[in-house]
Amino acid sequence: MNERSTSVLSDPAQLPVLTRFLQEFWSANGLPAAEALKFELALEEVFMNVVMHGSRASQPRVEVRLAASDADITLVVEDEGPAFDPLSVPPPESAASLEQRPVGGLGVFLVRQMMDTVEYQRLTCRNQLRMTRRIHP
Amino acid sequence: MNKPIFEIRQGPEGEVLMSGRLDATQCDAALQFLNTLALPRLIDLAQLEYIASAGLRVILLTQKRCKAAGTCVKLINVTAPVYDVFHYAGFDQILDISRGG
Repeated sequence: MNERSTSVLSDPAQLPVLTRFLQEFWSANGLPAAEALKFELALEEVFMNVVMHGSRASQPRVEVRLAASDADITLVVEDEGPAFDPLSVPPPESAASLEQRPVGGLGVFLVRQMMDTVEYQRLTCRNQLRMTRRIHP
Repeated sequence: MNKPIFEIRQGPEGEVLMSGRLDATQCDAALQFLNTLALPRLIDLAQLEYIASAGLRVILLTQKRCKAAGTCVKLINVTAPVYDVFHYAGFDQILDISRGG
């Protein structure tokens, strides 16, 4: 199992930093390129949710961990915000017409579509979202 | 694995060309550009490598604006990874999308 972690400020300007972190992990471990975009999207959606709805404390940080085995890849995102389970948000109405379709709220829905498992856990004073995708079913 | 930044511009026949990564850091610029166009008809995504939900929002807002004016936007040359995101979001049901070759 290969693992790496990083920690950034909860700030939109840090999104490219996290994307680079993920791309470097992919290159270093020779992971399938086709899987990279799915994880980049999951990381962006979860991180931006934390930025927009997470802690209002001064300089809150977000921790990101990646782990890869022969069987799967796991992405873990932890933040210091108030307890919030993003998986409790109902999915958008996918059958809605163009006029009725809301312009937001798709992020977590997309993550659930892209990943095989998505699990939320409230740690002592942190939110943890763990996302896993099998690479050799 | 250095991915290109996002670019948006108009092509020679008035089509909108997007390239690179349309992520949360680029969506405001993309929407601002599209809003300067009266009613964009064609968006060529052949060079767009990545789109996140913030980018989908840009496309949806543009389509809603055009629909209100009685026209619609067509997305052409959509690459497989980007098409997957449209599909997962159910946008292939409400937008005119054609895949790249």
